[in-house]
Amino acid sequence: MNRFLPASAGLGLRAPHLGLVLAERPPIPWFEVHSENYFADGGPALAALDRIRADYPVALHGVGLSLGSTDPLDIEHLAKLKRLADRVEPAHVSEHLCWSSVNGRHFNDLLPLPYTPEALDHVCARVSATQDFLRREILVENVSSYLTFPESSIPECEFVAAVAARSGCRLLVDVNNIYVNARNHGLDADAYLAAIPPAMVAEIHLAGFDASGPCLVDTHGAPVAPEVWSLYERALGRFGRVPTLIEWDTDIPEFAVLQREAAIAQSFLDACLAIAA
Amino acid sequence: MPLLRERQTRFASALLAADAGDDDRIAIYRNSVRANYRKALGATYRVVAQLVGEPFFHAAVDAYVKDTAATGGDLNVYGGSFGEFLADYPHAQGLPYLPDVSRLEWAIDEAGRAADVDGTPEAILAALAMIPAERTPSLRFALDPSCRLLTSVHPVLRIWQVHQPGFAGDMAVAFDAATDRLLVRREAGVVAVLRMPPGDFAMLQALADGRDLAAALDAAVAAETDFDLGTSLRNCIANRTLAKLRDE
Repeated sequence: MNRFLPASAGLGLRAPHLGLVLAERPPIPWFEVHSENYFADGGPALAALDRIRADYPVALHGVGLSLGSTDPLDIEHLAKLKRLADRVEPAHVSEHLCWSSVNGRHFNDLLPLPYTPEALDHVCARVSATQDFLRREILVENVSSYLTFPESSIPECEFVAAVAARSGCRLLVDVNNIYVNARNHGLDADAYLAAIPPAMVAEIHLAGFDASGPCLVDTHGAPVAPEVWSLYERALGRFGRVPTLIEWDTDIPEFAVLQREAAIAQSFLDACLAIAA
Repeated sequence: MPLLRERQTRFASALLAADAGDDDRIAIYRNSVRANYRKALGATYRVVAQLVGEPFFHAAVDAYVKDTAATGGDLNVYGGSFGEFLADYPHAQGLPYLPDVSRLEWAIDEAGRAADVDGTPEAILAALAMIPAERTPSLRFALDPSCRLLTSVHPVLRIWQVHQPGFAGDMAVAFDAATDRLLVRREAGVVAVLRMPPGDFAMLQALADGRDLAAALDAAVAAETDFDLGTSLRNCIANRTLAKLRDE
């Protein structure tokens, strides 16, 4: 079983496509699944993941750990993640640089952190505690946001890079989220990329956003935008060939649509002459 | 209070508050949070959603989330008390079967992610053969982890069946039918809902409650006078409803 991701374009595997993937074994270089969807004690979904894992490299992507929360780390949640990671032996385990819960109440969404020295200390301690518990490295992903906080004193890109430098995790760079935040908050997306040390980048995510409202919203419900493909090309120029994932979570289309998106990402990877760090 | 905690506490209060106009950036998060719960509960409570229609269902989910906060980061296990909530939900009082349909859908959801067992009917029968006959009344059995037992005075199984994808027959439901005694269980990866005779149901309920075979037999005979323990027990072992003997 391959425990490393190839530097190729994989797909986020969601429930509607599980049956097709099991039956047809499409030539996808690797899959990523949402960790929580396989927290079950048993049953057909977990059995399907075992079968997929036998034939493909797999990454686990968490959406519910609430890394940045000031509530105590949810040990029960971590224990389920560890049980799953020990079973699947994924190439990557990733979480989001955000928070989802406070005062015992969960909102089950990716909520933004203020970028302050206090928040940085807190997140670094939480990443370290998570890695200690899981006994493995995790990747941390930058998130989209729709507001900023007046107390933020550290540029987001520096905050993200500092989390990796100080806690020893590596980064899952979501290029779409960088683009969304650049547009929403007037950031320079290229300066953002320049602030991320290439050696820390283990994986890239791409997805589509919604532009119908007052700011861009990261819906994972559309094709990757042309501007994001262009930023992705520049990201590969800086980071080298990095395993790249297409994510689609809302209004999930036919598998063939996802394959076409992955093929585009693959063409950028193939054209990337830089050598991976 | 440290600034980060204060910030998160204030953000949480703002998420729970009402929308404050178009320029309210928190509203984007409020909508996103709402959509996550509607989607998660919509995937579990598919028949309830069909019975009441999307606007009613979304309003009920929004009210439920306000009433019953999620406490964990795994949305797959949130929403188990939706049936109890609907029983008290003022707008659902005209649909008395709705809470029991919800409970059935939650039982099906739980059955789908319950633990796998590696025991076989042959292993239980072999273990039983080793036990002296005088100890039989005090035996206790564990049901397969996927098993859930439900009763309803409403024809919830029929309601559930006619709302399944691909159902093509007559959708009429007879509301004067007898009490539904249902066993939800997973077999070979597929969750099934079975209507049980009163005796079998009473026996399984007693065994599920941890009572011994003598007590289960009493309960079964009280529910159905011509209950045949031997046949029922053999069937429940053969179809893996009874997964193993409890160590006692």
